[in-house]
Amino acid sequence: MTTATNNIEIDRDKGDFKYAETHRFDAGVGLNEGTVDYICDVKGEDDWIRDFRKRALKVFQDKPMPTHWATKDLENIDFNKIRYYLAGDQRAKKSWDDVPDEVKETFERLGIPENERKFLAGVEAQFDSEAAYSNIKEVVAKDGVIFIGSTDGLMEHPEIFKKWFGKVIPTGDNKFSALNSAVFSGGSFIYVPPGVKVSHPLQAYFRINAENFGQFERTLIIADEGSEVTYMEGCTAPKFDTATLHSAVVELVAMPGAKIEYVTVQNWSSNVFNLVTKRAIAHENSVVKWIDCNIGSRLTMKYPGVVLKGRKARGEVLSIALANDDQHQDTGAKMIHAADETTSNVISKSISVGKGRSTYRGQVHIPKHLKGCKNNTECDALLINSDSRTDTYPAITVRGDQNYVQHEASVSKVSAEQIFYMQQRGLSEAGAMSLSVNGFVNDLTRQFPMEYSVELKRLIELEMEGSVG
Amino acid sequence: MEAEAGVDESFRYAFQNHMDSLNTAPKWWREFKTNAFESYANMPMPRRNDENWRFANRNNLSLGKFKFDGDSVSANVSSLVEKSRFTRAQAGGYVIADNKIVQANRAPKELTDQGVIWSPLSEAILEHSDLLRDYFMKQGIDLGSEKFAHLHSAFVTNGVLLYVPKGIEIEAPFCSYNWSTSENGTLFPHTLVIAEANAKASVIEAHLSEGEQSVFSCGVTHLFAGVGSELNYTLIQNLNENTLGFQINSNIAGKDSTVNMNSVILGCGHYRSETHGQIKGSGAHVDMRSMALADAEQEIDQRTLQTHSATHTTSNLLFKNALKEKSKTIFSGLIKVDEVAQQTDAYQTNRNLLLSNTAEANSLPGLEIEANNVKCSHGATTSEIQEEEIFYMLARGIPKDAAEELIVYGFFEEILENIEDEKLSYCTRQLIRKKFGS
Amino acid sequence: MSASLEIKNLNVSIGDKQIIKDFSLTIPKSEVHAIMGPNGTGKSTLAKALAGHPDYEITSGDALIDGESIIEMEVDERSRAGLFLAFQYPMEIPGVSIANFIRAARNARLPEGEDLDAPAYYKELYEKMDTLKIDRKFTSRSINEGFSGGEKKRCEILQLAMLNPKYAILDETDSGLDIDALKIVSEGVNALRGPELGALVITHYQRLLDYIVPDKVHVMYDGRIVKSGDKSLALELESKGYDWIKEIAENAA
Repeated sequence: MTTATNNIEIDRDKGDFKYAETHRFDAGVGLNEGTVDYICDVKGEDDWIRDFRKRALKVFQDKPMPTHWATKDLENIDFNKIRYYLAGDQRAKKSWDDVPDEVKETFERLGIPENERKFLAGVEAQFDSEAAYSNIKEVVAKDGVIFIGSTDGLMEHPEIFKKWFGKVIPTGDNKFSALNSAVFSGGSFIYVPPGVKVSHPLQAYFRINAENFGQFERTLIIADEGSEVTYMEGCTAPKFDTATLHSAVVELVAMPGAKIEYVTVQNWSSNVFNLVTKRAIAHENSVVKWIDCNIGSRLTMKYPGVVLKGRKARGEVLSIALANDDQHQDTGAKMIHAADETTSNVISKSISVGKGRSTYRGQVHIPKHLKGCKNNTECDALLINSDSRTDTYPAITVRGDQNYVQHEASVSKVSAEQIFYMQQRGLSEAGAMSLSVNGFVNDLTRQFPMEYSVELKRLIELEMEGSVG
Repeated sequence: MEAEAGVDESFRYAFQNHMDSLNTAPKWWREFKTNAFESYANMPMPRRNDENWRFANRNNLSLGKFKFDGDSVSANVSSLVEKSRFTRAQAGGYVIADNKIVQANRAPKELTDQGVIWSPLSEAILEHSDLLRDYFMKQGIDLGSEKFAHLHSAFVTNGVLLYVPKGIEIEAPFCSYNWSTSENGTLFPHTLVIAEANAKASVIEAHLSEGEQSVFSCGVTHLFAGVGSELNYTLIQNLNENTLGFQINSNIAGKDSTVNMNSVILGCGHYRSETHGQIKGSGAHVDMRSMALADAEQEIDQRTLQTHSATHTTSNLLFKNALKEKSKTIFSGLIKVDEVAQQTDAYQTNRNLLLSNTAEANSLPGLEIEANNVKCSHGATTSEIQEEEIFYMLARGIPKDAAEELIVYGFFEEILENIEDEKLSYCTRQLIRKKFGS
Repeated sequence: MSASLEIKNLNVSIGDKQIIKDFSLTIPKSEVHAIMGPNGTGKSTLAKALAGHPDYEITSGDALIDGESIIEMEVDERSRAGLFLAFQYPMEIPGVSIANFIRAARNARLPEGEDLDAPAYYKELYEKMDTLKIDRKFTSRSINEGFSGGEKKRCEILQLAMLNPKYAILDETDSGLDIDALKIVSEGVNALRGPELGALVITHYQRLLDYIVPDKVHVMYDGRIVKSGDKSLALELESKGYDWIKEIAENAA
């Protein structure tokens, strides 16, 4: 498709550029109590946050790397060489006009202001450690919807924030949630009042511009009773020669009857360690849906979870991962059933290209005395080249005889005969490969918001170029 | 509490007594056992973070009360022999009680004349020392019970060796019955089967209890299937529920060979079984099937590995568990396809049927695929009996208990139908029936 | 320059085994030729080798479309040069709809920077589907996935109609078809006959040739043509059976 190719050429370099660093605030290299104090001081945080951060730092330092099950590549992260806080300002601007020029230019090149005008209800754009821009459309704000940076959320709405902050994902959940809890900065805070249905998505964009940097945003979304919200996040970074760390914590709270859809399209450059903890609590009759597309990064470890706490709550994880040469997508899902008649659905599709490796890890837990719980898990892996690799490690525990769980996984390849068939119709080999890979994920992407399925399709086409021959 | 590495003096003394009883055995065998004992002593107990022990109860693995330095058989031997007839016909059979041969049915002369060896392990150590030296415990233990495999090597005294030379096909099965009879006794059943090129044989092994005594059983079965050979192996485990049981199985399938491994698991309070299918020759096919019926507070912990390291190989695994009362099962399976193993078809299925509100089924079905031209899939389901099925049977006048039982038989049929010997199939069904109390 | 599909002294091997032996045949544009022959004689090998399947090695000889050699071309280049192969066993491609697939193939034929006129494309697609009695709902179904034998073959002819090749090879298009499906497929092919299309119909049975009446019939045995004639040759073959061909071939040798 010739015109698409032109767009791809633009896309390919879309994220790969950077501007000179002009940070007014820099916590320096390495991590210790002083780093935490520096962050608290420049942000002007309350003592309870300082204490929270310091306790977390201790947990992070004491916890071993989870290499008894995870990849040894984690040992290549040198925490002493990373910069933990870089910012021009602590408070996000509400108008693009007030955003510093090179930051504004970055987001313009990524198409953020244009998307905002076209289809978004609100946008937050984070540049390194802090949000540079955050704005919500008046029509949404007047319903009482709060959409601000997490730093502002802490200051302006402590009564809501404090109640849920760190409750869905405790500091000590894992080593990286502890790290985030110690040095978090940026991310979104969203509160949707009872009954409010936000018709257009809210979007956050995370941009790493600095080398040897760690981005640790913290997002908290609370959808109150009967409300609905869709949140989308995008991530990019330029291609550096050294490793960069992205370690976010995202907590979602769906109150009774609420619906939250959280969409991620990640396109990190291949030196980013992307170690993210995402979890939701779903109360009675609520629905939480994670849509998670992982492309790029050196190592992604991310297992979005839903704790199904109220009767008839529903959790879903729909994920697509594409691992290219020297990339490892270690992703999956956790479904913790904690109430009767809760249901969960996990559909994971992974594609391994070249020497890429994709791994699915899943956990489904249904404790005893629960009735009428159901889980369905499907994992399909597609291997493109002879040295591609895929692993699947689900863990399923079911107690009690009134629940139903099924897990299915398959591994397949695009056969030479399929490629021959498509080539006989005039498609190039790469075009044929790209078409079949898109076909492989098609039934999933159909369920994604339109704008994202188009973007994803293009990203896949891009990744498939040069994968054959 | 985490048990530490090392062993106490009384245990070391028991091993010394054991070794003293083997002073006529070959030197290599004595050294092998001494090394195994030291490896056992130096290896830590399974730890909390050990992925191979995920979900498993590690609290009742203490072996302190068991007697490791032998014991006399505390049961009526002729009654045991009487009960050791699971098959219609057999090519040879041994009845072993507390590691001692109590009855020997040797292989017929026409087979031994052709070079077939069917020998108790205690004799084979003396008479086929070189063969054992090449094959005994040579398959590698890699599913978590390495420590217990060393313990087996240190204390094993009996079991069976079957060697089938090139081109010999034997239809009738060879049988090995292992009985536990003594309070706090220990059992170390061992089965070693070597099939040379194009040979064919079947082995049936039963682990059984006479009485309700508390026992530790730790068995190992290794099958070597040579080029173009076919081996069929069936294990019936019906030890009493006061038994702590380990069973470590492994097979190596050579080029174009076929290996079938079936397990029927009914007994033990805590049972840990490991099965490794090593598909090493191109064109080889390995089938691994198991059924377990767990009740009371039984824990049945099964770990499997299907390793494909050659092209054009296939493997098929089907493990089915039905759980009553407060029982717990763990199925942890992994299909590993090496980079070189193109054109591999590997399947793994685990089905759990929960029959009570307090039973717990854990399933860890895994895949590690490094070749791209493969067909691999795994599936796991955990479910209850469908109300409609019960209703249908009730409507036909079948009482609820009987209906449930029928459904469980139906559930296991996929496994049981592979047992070819009619009498064995009948005996197995009887054992299952007993567990339902009918 | 002759407007024809020209096969000159073609030799084709699979591995070490030679299948096509010094095979020559010229199909002028506007004509329909049929190749008949017993199973295993190399008919499908010829079709796949011409299309450029990587398992089939052309060891010598040439194949030309309107005077231009295609044997050094990639599979997709041959397709875009005007060669269409209707597969004996069409592939299933999960997740890729018929509409998207044909559209991608059409797009591949457009000059750089040009894009398909979508409404016109769909109009044409629907018309041709109607002709072939393919339900319009099929456009969103994954290509060949879960199709019956007849549906697969109709889908092949739909692609033939949509891609407007210069030369089409129909490899056992009649296999697995009942008489009604055979009629529909044949009508579809007949509708495309004309001065702009040359076709090679490969079949094991004479039945298909009642519906797609060939200009010439060639009988193939052991990798080469052993007898050529007009459409009556097909009937003669039907009545005398393939043993007759064997005799001819052996006498010739």
